[in-house]
Amino acid sequence: MVSIKLNNVSLVYKLHEKLTLSAPDRRVAGPGGRIEGSGRKQFVQALDGVSFDLKAGDRLGLVGPNGAGKTTLLKVLYGIYEPTDGSVDIEGKVDALFNINIGFRREATGRRNIVLRGLISGWTEAEIEEKMEDIIAFSELGDFIDLPFKAYSQGMAARLAFSAATALDPEILLMDEWIGAGDASFQEKAKRRMDELAEKAGIIVLASHSEALIQSVCTKKLTLRSGRIESFTTEPVKRVGAVAKSS
Amino acid sequence: MIAALNGAFDDISRAMRLHRVWIALAHEDIGDQHRRTTLGPLWLLVNYVAFVGTFVFVFQPAGRDAAGYSAYVAIGLLVWFYLMEVMSMSVSLFQREESFIEGTTLPLFVYVMRLGLQSVIRAGYAIAGCVAILVFSGSPVATPWLWSLAGLLLILFATPALITVFAFLGAFFPDSQFIVGNLLRVGMFFTPVFWMNNSQDPIQKYAYEWNPFTYFLEIVRLPIINGEFPAHAFTVTILASLFTWAIALLLLGRYRKQIVFLI
Repeated sequence: MVSIKLNNVSLVYKLHEKLTLSAPDRRVAGPGGRIEGSGRKQFVQALDGVSFDLKAGDRLGLVGPNGAGKTTLLKVLYGIYEPTDGSVDIEGKVDALFNINIGFRREATGRRNIVLRGLISGWTEAEIEEKMEDIIAFSELGDFIDLPFKAYSQGMAARLAFSAATALDPEILLMDEWIGAGDASFQEKAKRRMDELAEKAGIIVLASHSEALIQSVCTKKLTLRSGRIESFTTEPVKRVGAVAKSS
Repeated sequence: MIAALNGAFDDISRAMRLHRVWIALAHEDIGDQHRRTTLGPLWLLVNYVAFVGTFVFVFQPAGRDAAGYSAYVAIGLLVWFYLMEVMSMSVSLFQREESFIEGTTLPLFVYVMRLGLQSVIRAGYAIAGCVAILVFSGSPVATPWLWSLAGLLLILFATPALITVFAFLGAFFPDSQFIVGNLLRVGMFFTPVFWMNNSQDPIQKYAYEWNPFTYFLEIVRLPIINGEFPAHAFTVTILASLFTWAIALLLLGRYRKQIVFLI
């Protein structure tokens, strides 16, 4: 059964300062978690006691200001960051779309990039071969698929990335602000595919600053602020109507 | 320590299962580096032969035949350039792979093997040039060449460990990228790449005997040049390789999950 269960997850990491000629008190901290400690022993509390459960069919929207911990949380779910405290239990095959350029090589053609992206995601060559035409068709790149990736616009790159990431029907799909680059018709098409994915009892977690996107795609909304959960609302959107505050 | 070793072996075994990834990426790397050039990767062969020719022309000792010295320099430069490339590229490995490390769950050893294979492919062109120089210089193809092959395989065995150690060094101490680069440039003159140890000059004798890279060179060179099995050089190289692997496994096991926060 596909599920995500986070129990009191915290992530603290040490700030590795670069040598600088600026006086320490004149350096301004950027957005992102809470900085604790001083001098050379500074730590960032990127996530603090985050707990929630998701089950098959859930579509979670992650919202919050810059540096609230949205991308960090996605990376914890994907397994890139190991939490310093708490537990993460995930059942299901996970794929992620964080950066549309990941795994894509500028000089290689779109077709070759599909192969590379598939290998990086752990697909077999047979699976890549089987899905190749579907991915190309969904991306609507036409003859561009045999041109080098560097000839693609950001929107075309997003089409290819999304088509490849969703081609093997991941049970859990994690996405970070991917959709901004696609045009309106592709966004609509992508949304339909996400609907299909969720209806096949999958889970989608989408981080975005676009309230409209969250409302149209997600069934749950988790608001983060400074690494902590500010609110976790279920069934918030047009789909069902009533917004219930669960925690 | 046991947990660290288990973690390292887990990372390595996952990377080995994903061998198609690093093989594909290494080939793409080589192709990208030479794309749109007329000679393509053959430039690697041209560069190597040009270097050997220049060194023989400039540094050939008086009274030594050109053919014998060509063979000496050809093998010395082959191994030294390989080691130099592996070490200098490794110190910035994790920084170069930043987008992959921050965006995928590929085991770190995938990046190690990607660089290792890339270096081996590049060295392959130099090996072709080296064999051609050896044949033209009149070195007789004989059974001791098999010891040279064993020496190359031993260097190949040590390569992933060297890459891992230098990659972690570069991640923890970014300054090491410049320190290692400078040391390698200077190190060429303290390693018997193109000079011969005559045991007369104490500095030369010290540089020959206490430099571990001497032995990495000699396990490949001595069987061909002298037709002998260099037991001492093999022993030192095996011990150095095992020591490097021990450090590499501990670093990989203990710190592989920290790298994403360091780059």
